[in-house]
Amino acid sequence: MTKLELHKLNVKSLKFSDKTFFADGVLNVNKSELLSIIAEDPLLGKNLDVDLAMPGEKVRIMPVKDVIEPRYKIEGKGQIFPGMLSDVESVGEGKTLVLSGCAVLTAGKLVRFQEGIIDMSGPGAEFTPYSKTCNVVLVLEPSDPEMDKHDYEKACRMAGLKAAAYLAKSCADSKADKVEEYEFANIREAMNNYPELPKVGYLYMLQTQGLLHDTYLYGVDVKRILPTLISPLEVMDGAIVSGNCVSACDKNSTYSHQNNPVIADMLKRHGKDFNFVGCIVTNENVTLADKKRSSSYATKLAAMLGLDGVVITEEGFGNPDADLIMNCWKAERLGIKTALLTDEYAGQDGASQSLADSCPEGNACVTAGNANEVIVLPPMEKVIGYAHEANVIAGGWNGSLADDGTITVELQAITGATSELGFTKLGAYTL
Amino acid sequence: MLKLITNNSDLLNKVKTGELINGSSLDVLINVRSLVHFGSKILTHPLCGNLRPNHQPFRSVIIDEQNGLVDLESLSLIEDAVHVYESSKLIYPNEIDELTRKDYAFIDFELMKASLIQYNLLRRDLF
Repeated sequence: MTKLELHKLNVKSLKFSDKTFFADGVLNVNKSELLSIIAEDPLLGKNLDVDLAMPGEKVRIMPVKDVIEPRYKIEGKGQIFPGMLSDVESVGEGKTLVLSGCAVLTAGKLVRFQEGIIDMSGPGAEFTPYSKTCNVVLVLEPSDPEMDKHDYEKACRMAGLKAAAYLAKSCADSKADKVEEYEFANIREAMNNYPELPKVGYLYMLQTQGLLHDTYLYGVDVKRILPTLISPLEVMDGAIVSGNCVSACDKNSTYSHQNNPVIADMLKRHGKDFNFVGCIVTNENVTLADKKRSSSYATKLAAMLGLDGVVITEEGFGNPDADLIMNCWKAERLGIKTALLTDEYAGQDGASQSLADSCPEGNACVTAGNANEVIVLPPMEKVIGYAHEANVIAGGWNGSLADDGTITVELQAITGATSELGFTKLGAYTL
Repeated sequence: MLKLITNNSDLLNKVKTGELINGSSLDVLINVRSLVHFGSKILTHPLCGNLRPNHQPFRSVIIDEQNGLVDLESLSLIEDAVHVYESSKLIYPNEIDELTRKDYAFIDFELMKASLIQYNLLRRDLF
């Protein structure tokens, strides 16, 4: 049995100060110290900036690359974001400080058409969970405009992780507003637990197709792994880090990995509705041979664990639908029931086929919404970043940005709008 | 014989064996479908990673060119992909500005890179 405590400080506001610390719900941020930490990277340019955006403000942030929750381990093995920021020691036990309600956003120009929009108020704010967080925004640029795009993507990714760890570390002495305790049984215990309940696992698909479509597990590029087992508590400690931007609506941000709602809900229902045995992480590669290998291996692991059912979440759209469907029918044909979580690209009128692939076994499927739905975002008083990117980002088109600052885009341009982890504000409610 | 079928001329210059289709992403898929009818097998998924047909003008597919019986799995994949592209708006390589075209071409290359290396189709000097 492993145990992890999340020591949560409830951040209700942000302000710049000459010291970074937390008091009375306010995260004070020493801007120059934070800037000096991210500016250490020679790949980043001289005109870096840090800005603050609060829920309800008439502020638009774009283009946004990643969202990260500030966390720092205050007790236990390893450190947050293992293999990326810290050593590769396994994480997921001990105590971790969380700046709950706060997020670090990396905004910067990568390859065009890749990133998303976050509005802090207005109709757009209703579609992104990150309009409700107090956001510390890093505005990044490369030191050389002709820099290799892989190098610059990594520089932006690392800047976000460094900033998130720095903010939480600076508050490590504060007493938590709330402590959440999580436990997870090892396989031997899990096999004996709750014999009357079905054994259920989580098949966690990660996008891994190349630049701007990659995810990292303990610092390892996930496209190079065979599917493997992971404890949900490791995920809370940042073992999975996003390196991708496409598409903004259904990319799994690092924040949504850290706060994965599928894991949270499965832990809540563990011992009541089912026995949550473990998570299997798998990739979404490009070649058919890789897709076949990974889906066969991941479902084989599920069978080896003796699972009765798996929840499967996808990341992205298009050829990842093929991975989702292979995982589905291969599990079902091994006698393992499946429930799928995805989103839809059903056209602006919602009338087109939602997924690029399907199978008869996929008869329990949850949608996070239609990413093609068109939304009009009225002008904001302030834009952090570059508004003209609206004309080229996925979900936008030439002419998306009007002269007065109004942006007309598909939902897919809004960060986290149709998150396939279910970390979204869209949903259906029974009245 | 392994080869790349693509409408991305930037990418064609990077591979050992390839065929350039002067046309749209849908034209690439239709061409691949014809080759599948003659017995070729598809090695990479014909749909693009996470980009709708109207968000990426380029399409590249690695095939194992053969003459013989139709591979039913390849046929099913390519028919489904053609259907998706036929029912969607497209963007065309010659209708976008050069800077954007180069970005699209670059992303298409990046998404194909691991597969090209795996099937030994990428020119050695580009690893």
